[in-house]
Amino acid sequence: MDGRRPIRVLVVDDERLNREVVAVNLRAARYDIATAEDGQEAWEALAADPDGFDVVVLDRRMPRMDGMQLLAKLKADERLRNIPVIMQTAYASSEDVVEGIKAGVYYYLGKPLDRRLLLSVVASAVEERARWRMLQEELEKRSGYMSLLTRGTFRFRTLEEGNILAVALAKACPRSRFLVVGLSELLTNAVEHGNLGITFDEKARLIAEKGWSAEIERRLADPAFGARMVTVEVERSRHEARITITDEGEGFDWRPYMELEASRAFAAHGRGIAMARRLSFDSLEYRGRGNQVVCVVRDDSAPPAVACSPAAVHGPEDLRLARSMQAELLPTRARLEEMQARYGLKVSGLFETSCDLGGDLWGIEPIDGSRFALWLADFSGHGVGAALNTFRLHTLIRNQSEARGQPAAYLAELNLRLTGLLPTGQYAAMLYGVVDVAEGLFTYAAAAAQHPLAVRLADGGTERGDGSGLPLGITAKAAYAERRLALPPGTLLFLTSDALAENPGRDGSVLGRDGVTRLVADGARRLGAGLTAPALLAPFLAACDRPLRDDLTAVCCLR
Amino acid sequence: MRYDIRTSLSGPVLALRDQLTFGDRNAFDEVVEELAKPGTTAVTVDLEQLSYMDSAGLGMLLTLRDRAERAGAVVKLVSPRGEVKDLLELACFDTLFTIEV
Repeated sequence: MDGRRPIRVLVVDDERLNREVVAVNLRAARYDIATAEDGQEAWEALAADPDGFDVVVLDRRMPRMDGMQLLAKLKADERLRNIPVIMQTAYASSEDVVEGIKAGVYYYLGKPLDRRLLLSVVASAVEERARWRMLQEELEKRSGYMSLLTRGTFRFRTLEEGNILAVALAKACPRSRFLVVGLSELLTNAVEHGNLGITFDEKARLIAEKGWSAEIERRLADPAFGARMVTVEVERSRHEARITITDEGEGFDWRPYMELEASRAFAAHGRGIAMARRLSFDSLEYRGRGNQVVCVVRDDSAPPAVACSPAAVHGPEDLRLARSMQAELLPTRARLEEMQARYGLKVSGLFETSCDLGGDLWGIEPIDGSRFALWLADFSGHGVGAALNTFRLHTLIRNQSEARGQPAAYLAELNLRLTGLLPTGQYAAMLYGVVDVAEGLFTYAAAAAQHPLAVRLADGGTERGDGSGLPLGITAKAAYAERRLALPPGTLLFLTSDALAENPGRDGSVLGRDGVTRLVADGARRLGAGLTAPALLAPFLAACDRPLRDDLTAVCCLR
Repeated sequence: MRYDIRTSLSGPVLALRDQLTFGDRNAFDEVVEELAKPGTTAVTVDLEQLSYMDSAGLGMLLTLRDRAERAGAVVKLVSPRGEVKDLLELACFDTLFTIEV
């Protein structure tokens, strides 16, 4: 890849057939292939020729030295730690994946092998490795004059300009070697995903087909995209550098990309933001519709402030793991797409915690051909205690299916179980309902939940439901009422937790019950059929300081 | 949380003012200790001056109720106003406490 030789991939697997399948596919794509039968043999090959390999495709379970052991040795070696490692595993439990990512796995490939994914993932890894090398080399060449900068605005248009700027800015900041990678990632995003409007999926396809550069060139020459600029504002003080990057694109929903999630370890793309956040910056925050990102890097002499106490107690690694486990409780994008295909309703959610961990949870479960269950729960308090309760609830809900078509009976049963589990003073507010597509009805029961809303997209006309009911987990004797909202076509069903009504904006005002209804009605009219939960709540979030005071969850179901 | 405790013929009266929220848990626990003493038969919580309570505040009222019951006392909530009244209604707390409007 640096011109001296073809790109060489080391394929490590103890089973000959698996090794051959990977090798044959990569050879067909004109990679140079070396193989090893286990971690020990691979280690010997790598240590003997540290510059000889560009990517390692590694099986997890092997005799002598397994995949994780080899990975640890690579990461501990200065010469080898930047070679991307693609892990192949048949045992893809989410714990394994999270463990692997933490140990530095670049991508995860499942078994049996998906040929197209293999090629796309290897191509991405090579691409990233080349970029990493180029950036480090540039960084070495650059003089440090930018460190004299205290405040400045830069504007650029192309990827090349973005990379030049990333290197120059990184050189002026603390921890340049790590910063340059993250900064380059964000500036690249601003051009390709922001101004040029290439989606993550499109990028994956383009890289696999080796058509990425050509597409970038084509769009830069297109009058609709090509005139757009990226603006970078830099402010440096003695303790930190603050870099604000704004593009002129449509923005995007950044929330799913902020954490390294196990679910996306199998995807070839969309991990750059989380990597940047983790490796390069002390803080990274998207603003507005997602076309602006503010990142901060602090001087090591001034350690970053810890905003939430659990981080100080349990350490950031544990918390990251806990967060990603909590994120896995929520419906995945694939799940929501599957529901849309099956029932013809578009469901989207928003989940933002006030602290490292949240006390909210929502879910969606099919019942039969025309009905599915939709629910949202909000535990009292927030932080670790409330978060542990969300895991309890998730387990209970999974193990309880008898009454899932009858909301009142379902809540009563759930209440009975939670009453034994929760200590005094802790409880859950919850709304559980059944969407019936054939009847056009939402039948629900509520336990001190925020009132559900049914809003006509055409004119914002709103029917407010009733969320009243005894909270779950207080008394075994609680009974619940069954209520209904009509859901004719062209209707938005909206559920939320109490943070939306109660979280104060920067000016100190709160929306309150009526303010929530107005926000949702206005949003429904404005956004129409393209409505999603993040877009609907964007005006509210733009007016709030972070972190929010309480966990916020909202679910939109569009018929 | 701001509060004072006065004594009436029926027992102690806890008057809450301003806000009762997540951050008041520890302070409220101490108040509960003081109120739920053996021999007390009734505890009154005066909510007239309380302008805001979050979900954790509801939980604190439940803790008070639980501790009072164990000491043999009932808890009565009086004069909730505005958002506090709305929240008590949303959570159907009239089925758990005697509420005097």
